[in-house]
Amino acid sequence: MMRRRFTAAAVVLAAALAVGAPRGMAAPDPAAFISTLGSQAIQVLGPSVPPQQRLARFRQLFHDDFDVPNIGRFVLGRYWRIASPQEQQEFLRLFQEYIVQAYSARLGEYGGEPFKVTGTRDSDGETVVTSEIIRQDGNPVMVDWYLIDRGGSLKITDVYVGGISMKVTERDEFAAVIQRNGGQVEALLEQLRRKVGAAGD
Amino acid sequence: MHLRPSALTRPGRLLSVIGLGLVVLGSPIPGLAQAQQSGPAGSDAAEAADAHLAATADENFNDPFENTNRKIFDFNQDVDRIILVPVAKGYRAVLPAPVRDSLHDFLRNLDEPIIFANDVLQARPDLASKTFARFMINTTIGIGGLFDVATHLKVPFHDNDLGITFAVWGIRSGPYIILPILGPSTVRDAIGQGADNFGDPGNIIASNYNVLWATFARAGVDGIDTRSRNIESLADIERTSLDYYATIRSLYRQRRAAEIRHEPTSVPNLSPVGGGGTASPPPPISYTVAPGHPPAEAPYK
Repeated sequence: MMRRRFTAAAVVLAAALAVGAPRGMAAPDPAAFISTLGSQAIQVLGPSVPPQQRLARFRQLFHDDFDVPNIGRFVLGRYWRIASPQEQQEFLRLFQEYIVQAYSARLGEYGGEPFKVTGTRDSDGETVVTSEIIRQDGNPVMVDWYLIDRGGSLKITDVYVGGISMKVTERDEFAAVIQRNGGQVEALLEQLRRKVGAAGD
Repeated sequence: MHLRPSALTRPGRLLSVIGLGLVVLGSPIPGLAQAQQSGPAGSDAAEAADAHLAATADENFNDPFENTNRKIFDFNQDVDRIILVPVAKGYRAVLPAPVRDSLHDFLRNLDEPIIFANDVLQARPDLASKTFARFMINTTIGIGGLFDVATHLKVPFHDNDLGITFAVWGIRSGPYIILPILGPSTVRDAIGQGADNFGDPGNIIASNYNVLWATFARAGVDGIDTRSRNIESLADIERTSLDYYATIRSLYRQRRAAEIRHEPTSVPNLSPVGGGGTASPPPPISYTVAPGHPPAEAPYK
């Protein structure tokens, strides 16, 4: 009797540890994280939010919740390795602002539409949270969020909207710019400076 | 993240008819032959493989004719700016939204038979039965296709075309090409598009009854309809891009990869080749590039 009770307690304890340990330390539930973030983002994109405020909010969101250094490295591709440390730093700064400006405009059309998380799956050590935005014409737009756990907080590593990867799109574009300018990373930086500067930094 | 390239290139089937004409005239043919020979060595067949390659190997743009493509791209943008966009805006200004939506649904219903044929060629009874059901429902209850009743009955539109069929059969895309007026494509997709138009029951009937103008009218209205739904989204992409050509090329490739996997997408039509819509089956799990399927519905206001 005693022994059985002890066993039961051990099982419960073990279960608590197994479940509790990861939960305690670890990042919030990915689905809940995206549910909150996605709803906020879509709200910010809504027509009632003034452009300046939208940009500021987007900037903060991207800075806080995206895995910027790693996205930047991926996006620069093989040119990351040939860039000097100064160029790398400047690139990360410019690239962030560029993404914020470009995507707050490009995603504007989804502003204010209903958003819901539809599921999660694993992919290569990352968690993918699938979600959809319901368009006015009744057709859903699938949005997949790739998340990685960085020291207890979740960071977004990529977003697919309707099957299009933000990371891949930007890598392709940046590589084209560098290629067409004799392989010079500086040429990309110059174009980014001009683009970003135009809207004020 | 998304993007909406749809309009740029999908001036529609009319254009595709013109494209077919070009193919017949032989202009693209030398390029085609050459392109096929010079296809990249590799074993991959379908676009999914292409996309994976592209995503993992840097700069595999598969664009050997880039200089020529860029010239045609610039020309297309001029045509777009001077003719297509003003016409599309006028169209939007003159006709009320419900009328435009009905016209849109009607044109899309005309595409269902060829979509059905491709569903079958791809051995996809799941898709084929949906297309069949949509066509029957919309043609009858939807009054000749003027109303997309099927979508309300939870049988949403999905697109399909011969370029996708070729990809499913394992044929590689061949080089990326920009077609005059029609926009982004690949050798495989352009051939598929021409053949789709050639085999389209509506077009065949029109030609049998000597009403070729009907085919052109359909293509023209289709192009205007598509463009009218993408004015803002494409303008946003162009304005925010460093290199619009490169961005469109990336979007086209990702969008096609998603279409080939029959994932629901939302990317606007970048190309004349794809229609828009949403497909169904669950996406396979593949990280590098897991594009979805682009529905072409662009936002329209």
